[in-house]
Amino acid sequence: MNEIELSNPAKLPETPKRSIGEWVKSNLFSNIPNTVLTIVFGFLALYSIKGLLGFILSGERRWAAVATNMRLLMAQGYPANQFIRVWFTLGCLMVLTGISLAIWRSNGVLKIKRIGTWVLNLGLGAAIFASLAPVSANARGGWLIATAVLLLLGYFLKIGSDKSMLPDDVPTVWFSFGCLAVLVLSLWTVPYGHYAFTDGELIAESGRTVAMSTKLPFTVMLLLLIGAFMLAEVARGLVHIPKAKIVLSSLWLLSPFVLNWIVLRDPDFDYGRVFSTDIPIGLLFIGFGFLVLYPLTNPSIGEKGRLVAIALLMFAAFNWIAAFFGLYPMLQKVRISFLLLALAALLAPNFAADNRTRLRFISFWAGFIIVLHWLITAINSPSTLDLQGPTYLGGFSLTLFVAVLTLLLSFPLGVLLALGRTSSMPIARVLCTVYIESVRGVPLITILFFFSNILPLFLPAGMEIAELAAIVTGYTLFSAAYLAENVRGGLQSVMRGQYEAADAIGLTTSQRTGFIVIPQALRVSIPPLVGQAIGVFKETSLVAIVGAFDILRIAAYVVPAQTEFLGVKREGLLLISVIYFAVAFSMSKYSQKLEERVGLGER
Amino acid sequence: MSSENKQETRPDMIACENVDKWFGDFQALKGVTATIAEQEVVVVLGPSGSGKSTWIRCINRLEAHQRGTIVVDGVELTNDLRNIEKIRSEVGMVFQQFNLFPHLTVLDNVTLAPKWVRKMPKADAEIKAKELLEMVGIPEQASKFPGQLSGGQQQRVAIARALAMEPKIMLFDEPTSALDPEMIKEVLDVMKDLALGGMTMMVVTHEMGFAREVADRIIFMESGEIVEVGTPEHFFTDPTEDRTKLFLSQIL
Repeated sequence: MNEIELSNPAKLPETPKRSIGEWVKSNLFSNIPNTVLTIVFGFLALYSIKGLLGFILSGERRWAAVATNMRLLMAQGYPANQFIRVWFTLGCLMVLTGISLAIWRSNGVLKIKRIGTWVLNLGLGAAIFASLAPVSANARGGWLIATAVLLLLGYFLKIGSDKSMLPDDVPTVWFSFGCLAVLVLSLWTVPYGHYAFTDGELIAESGRTVAMSTKLPFTVMLLLLIGAFMLAEVARGLVHIPKAKIVLSSLWLLSPFVLNWIVLRDPDFDYGRVFSTDIPIGLLFIGFGFLVLYPLTNPSIGEKGRLVAIALLMFAAFNWIAAFFGLYPMLQKVRISFLLLALAALLAPNFAADNRTRLRFISFWAGFIIVLHWLITAINSPSTLDLQGPTYLGGFSLTLFVAVLTLLLSFPLGVLLALGRTSSMPIARVLCTVYIESVRGVPLITILFFFSNILPLFLPAGMEIAELAAIVTGYTLFSAAYLAENVRGGLQSVMRGQYEAADAIGLTTSQRTGFIVIPQALRVSIPPLVGQAIGVFKETSLVAIVGAFDILRIAAYVVPAQTEFLGVKREGLLLISVIYFAVAFSMSKYSQKLEERVGLGER
Repeated sequence: MSSENKQETRPDMIACENVDKWFGDFQALKGVTATIAEQEVVVVLGPSGSGKSTWIRCINRLEAHQRGTIVVDGVELTNDLRNIEKIRSEVGMVFQQFNLFPHLTVLDNVTLAPKWVRKMPKADAEIKAKELLEMVGIPEQASKFPGQLSGGQQQRVAIARALAMEPKIMLFDEPTSALDPEMIKEVLDVMKDLALGGMTMMVVTHEMGFAREVADRIIFMESGEIVEVGTPEHFFTDPTEDRTKLFLSQIL
């Protein structure tokens, strides 16, 4: 179907509508090779679908193994009595999603005709299922009825909107909410089966609806999502939208750190130490920040300020070297803060402006220090959780944790490396090139082994966080090198004229890089960057090598080792393939949307 | 005639003395010496490869000259970054290929430099930008992206972008050479208005009509050196040098 909309349709000769038969003839059977291809591929497809359905529905499959172990696959050994934390985490994300939908996407619409096409496709799927699946005659009848209903509904949606019996479109958000609501409702009504592992006792009853501990939280999640959306829709008129967007973006950026280390890990703060050490150190650095950054952002000081910054940087570097040789003891937090202060001081002359801007820069520093010190304190405190495994995270949540943190951290690092490699400063160029090339020359597994052995030396002894920190650091440094090469490709595509124009209107080098070069380079690099993100997501399964339990390891080794499900492996592997595919495919789809939005290729 | 007086009475905005420039072994500029006075419009003519563009790009340091001096508005161009930044914020430049920023709207293209280089508040910068877009005749395109505009419109946005910095001097490097013929006039008209408004302008172009009508002086270059300088009248009707005569006989 063509859906091209033109501002002036009168000038365009109407494309004649083709029937399905004509389309099939001109596209699938246009000439002899095409016909052969269609027939061969058609048989192959039908044969594979039949095989797959036979595999899934075979009496030998024990899907109870997957259903029963769902909690293990998703969150591994997370203590059952603290499971509310997992749901709280999800709930926070739902609320954020709801609000973000209202702020960013509330006016998107979906054509009813398009929905009709989807329903027709679903009907087609049901038809294939009904004809190929090895099910009983009764079930086949049920599937045939479903096919008929879906096809009729799809046809009605298409025709109905054509003849204006139905509206042209529906809001995308409400359509999605509707679909989710149908799914959640089905949890309460459809007998998917009740499976659970409670206190080592296996429950597997196929005739009932799912366990209350599943359907209730999911219902609450949906209500949170819709509620947050509706509230934010109301609040939309009252808030300053660009500001709301900034606040929301920072909440999203902060959420993986806060939710993982504060909510899920539940640090057992030692409040005596917090008040005697942590808070004073934090305040000290806020004070330092004011003392250093306020004078340095004074426009009359200008470039001379960088000398002060470089002195600070050398002091910070000395601290790290001293730490390496064990020369004098100092809290790691102090070292990190000194280094960051030096870097902020290095940037400060770029923010030289009027007093308000200067104070804003300093308050940004203060906020950053508060968040950072809070996180470091939380990470360094022991967890209250009674853990069974090596880390508090496992299963799919570990996969997500490693993937999200790696992407968040490696992205800025990769951009910096790419800029360094293309910079005109020889030392930066050599350092970045050496880094990128050496990391790219080493297998990821080697890097993971290296970090799980080396990094704990820098962290306080006996911390279960060290394992995760090592994993994420290894992935981040690895992925940053590849990201850097992708971004470099983008940088090279920015034309020389862009640099000249930016110079000619008087932008400084950093302004030129930030406003002109990077945005254009990233725009071009979206496809390889998303490819890289998908790669990182899938490669998280390598954490099994250093002893962590991710979803793949649990499905492949833990579940088949349970006495109840000895050797039941294929079901789990099929399920996690579907999960991996769903996430990777949505990322890929999203990147296509993003490309359209930023107008790639329209230049 | 009057322009000769103008040159004597007004202070120099651009003064080049014995400027030499090499690209590897190839000498692109050979002892270029010339001055351009305030509010003067100078058109630089010459066959392709004669060094016109190289010269104009040396004036805001997009290219570095290797010998001689270039003084712009009293500041000498050296490797000192501060001088270069100061001069660039006072010299606007318009390129043959427009070089608009494709990822920013027309309005953002125009307001970027005032906001970040001049530290002008956003609202003021936008008011100023809208005035300038009005001046170049495309106020209704402010929220579009450069890719959605025609070549002539893009070049007018580029002029507005350069003017937004309130430059004392405007450099035009073949501003109409990449345009379709029917769009050349709209850009030349804007440039004419600018010249009438008293802007100091240095224009590299092949538009003889514009040179004859608008220029106070014409500088003719060949093989990296200045061959002849004179008023349009003198240049087109009674050139002194043989090389100028040859050039004119080829193009007219």
